[in-house]
Amino acid sequence: MNPAPQRTRRRWRAVATAAVAIALALTGCAGGVPAATSGDRPLVIARAMDLTTLDPQRGYCDTCQILYTALYERLVTIDPADTSTVLPGLAETWEANADNTEFTFHLDTDAVFSDGSPVEAADVKWSFERLVNLQGSASFLLAGLAGIETPDAETVVVSFENPNSAFLAIVAAPYLGIVNSEVAEENGASAAEDAATTDDAEGWFLANSAGSGPYTLTDYTSGESVELAANEEYWGDEPQFTSVEMKEVTDSSSQLQQLQQGDVDIAMQISPDALAQLEGNEAISTEIVDSFNYTYIALLPAAPGGEPLQDVRVREAIRMAVDYDGLVDTLVAGYGKLQGSPIPNGFEGSEEVALPSYDLDGAKALLEEAGYADGFTLSATYPKLVAYGVDLDLQMQAVQQDLAEIGVTLELNPTDFSQWASTMGGEGTPVTAVYFAPDHTDSSQYVQYFGNIDQGGLVNPWTGSVSQEQTDLLAEALSQSGDERVATYEALAESMAADTFVLPMVNPQLILAYASDISGVAYSPCCNLEIGQLGLSG
Amino acid sequence: MTAAPGVAGFGTTSITVLRTARDSAWMRPQMVFGYVIVAFWLVLVVGVQWIAPFDPLASVGQRLSPPSAAHWFGTDALGRDVLSRALHGARYSLPIALVSIVASVVVGSVLGAVAGYVGGIVDAIIMRIADITMSFPAILLAMAVAAALGPGLNNAGIAIIIVWWPIYARLMRGQVLSIKEREHVESAVAIGASRSRILFRHIIPHASTPTLVNATMDLGQIVLLVASLSFLGLGALPPTPEWGAMITEGAKNFYQPWIAAAPGLAIVSIVLAINFIGDGLRDALDVKARR
Repeated sequence: MNPAPQRTRRRWRAVATAAVAIALALTGCAGGVPAATSGDRPLVIARAMDLTTLDPQRGYCDTCQILYTALYERLVTIDPADTSTVLPGLAETWEANADNTEFTFHLDTDAVFSDGSPVEAADVKWSFERLVNLQGSASFLLAGLAGIETPDAETVVVSFENPNSAFLAIVAAPYLGIVNSEVAEENGASAAEDAATTDDAEGWFLANSAGSGPYTLTDYTSGESVELAANEEYWGDEPQFTSVEMKEVTDSSSQLQQLQQGDVDIAMQISPDALAQLEGNEAISTEIVDSFNYTYIALLPAAPGGEPLQDVRVREAIRMAVDYDGLVDTLVAGYGKLQGSPIPNGFEGSEEVALPSYDLDGAKALLEEAGYADGFTLSATYPKLVAYGVDLDLQMQAVQQDLAEIGVTLELNPTDFSQWASTMGGEGTPVTAVYFAPDHTDSSQYVQYFGNIDQGGLVNPWTGSVSQEQTDLLAEALSQSGDERVATYEALAESMAADTFVLPMVNPQLILAYASDISGVAYSPCCNLEIGQLGLSG
Repeated sequence: MTAAPGVAGFGTTSITVLRTARDSAWMRPQMVFGYVIVAFWLVLVVGVQWIAPFDPLASVGQRLSPPSAAHWFGTDALGRDVLSRALHGARYSLPIALVSIVASVVVGSVLGAVAGYVGGIVDAIIMRIADITMSFPAILLAMAVAAALGPGLNNAGIAIIIVWWPIYARLMRGQVLSIKEREHVESAVAIGASRSRILFRHIIPHASTPTLVNATMDLGQIVLLVASLSFLGLGALPPTPEWGAMITEGAKNFYQPWIAAAPGLAIVSIVLAINFIGDGLRDALDVKARR
């Protein structure tokens, strides 16, 4: 549409590269012109960030996934082309025992942290124990951990109380990145059992990182930007950019404008309504890909004001009163799918679950049966964010309209992400709207986070009950493999769908929009966007 | 202080105000334009449910459709009629603005009058508080207060009162200081009238005209301030069709400019109309703009 800004920028880059070359020549720098094609060009990513912390073992958010992946490395990674294949990361080789209770990892001896010190088994043990002992939002990923042994500096043995066939997938989650324990401990971090109260490194992690990833953290200004620099000690392929900036750009139309003007290289949350504006613009590449992401509303009976939701018929009525096809049109202009249970389309267990359907009369009848024929009022606190192209504000207004039809008044209270996070950690809210992108490739995360089992997560603290059925089924799934396991996850999906604590709204397709000369932009099922994979093409 | 000839005109009672109302100074073209627009919006405040073509909260058309015969200002991201929402917006913006300004005038005038009449330490305390409040940019202070109270239109109104009362306190104090030296006040003192009777019967009525003019002029700014707070997410909560909140929705849909156009025009028209009336009032009453 308007390639002019792009051209200007290219010219500017040529000038900058020339300037660097001259500067190097003048200073007689022995290294010569850097081999990487990026020169001094920074990579700029526009994103509405849902950050509350940058501590890799405290955070739990989509932006965290992206940043932790760039700053820290995991023992293994997932092949983006085939998500069932596990690739080496910090661990060169690994093996599991027959009943999946013990996993042995052999670390790559070349691996070093950004300060040059080697990645050792003690760092792995320390990082995993800190994740568990901080009792943060992502601690559930290591539920059931029995112990970690380090027979030598290159070997780690992780054992579980019960079979955990999901562990090799979980180890690839960004929250299981390995931290340089010596550096972190010097700055107040602790992995001891009382870490939740004694660890005071959260502030340090806001300005520093201590990982082995391709980039290091240089600066973070809340609500403005996160800045990364290439890790000079990186032991893998040299990072393609000398610096990366993730810029807070809250709304989709500003992201689009900045992308069109060439101010940013990647816009992460373009809404489908804006797609038409990018057609025919050769300077910008757009791809529409299927994702495992979804937005949902959660009905939480144990939160104050949530009493009517204690009756499953009321929750079911709310589920039936939402016009799902209308939502897909309204929120993502048709670029999305419906989803039956908290296990998203494409994950084990999702296939046979019935999709939610709109049934106004059925919903009214159920409410009447439950004694709420005259309706009631619920308040909904949710973050003001655009998640995967879905404007949560718009989603909630659409749901509000639908629920008004059955006499349920929804009072909307949109807040900043950090305020929402503190509400969920404190007094709670009977209705909320959030979004979820997978942390790894196993369905267990959805049961742990959304199931009514006693492992924390989003739902269980607010249900006032625990489902023994789901607890047993999860243990069973983790001890199974192949088709048996799929069948168990299917039963879990059915059970969670019947609970109706979590109502998936839309499974949107993802719009990848970026400057055409950037390569490697892809949707990652563990880590959202892998900055380490990005480079310049041509 | 000697009374300038023009100033004699505002040592008046409401009767003289009514008499001057018949003068042509009150019927200048720009003022008539202002009256018409304000009357239009006041009619809407009262009877918008019979005038607006659609329910402002219901999806009534294809979403994001451009202006057409059925939807003069198009529809928004949920398929709601933008015109109906903008017309309903009068119900939120105008009453909040009016209540805030009246409350600011009452609070500010009483405190200012007391400060000016009593003087001394009372004067110092009240006026220093006013100075401190006024030393903040109005929008920043209003944002801070609204953020502390939590979002919502009523809280936005409270925030505005907190920001705006010092203006009237200053104005009233200045008036009271000059009027209390006048002969009729001295006469009242001489016949033994009580201090509160003198203040409320003999001083405030004579000092109210500049306040009236200023309040009229400020009303437009308050409408803007309410819209600004809502625009920033500190005022009206969704799905309230408040003008500022609607403009936020318009900003999210940058390529559908009609969503922001209707509330934008509404704000422009009401603020312009109020400023025309205020300007005319000031000229008619021959009051110099005082702040």
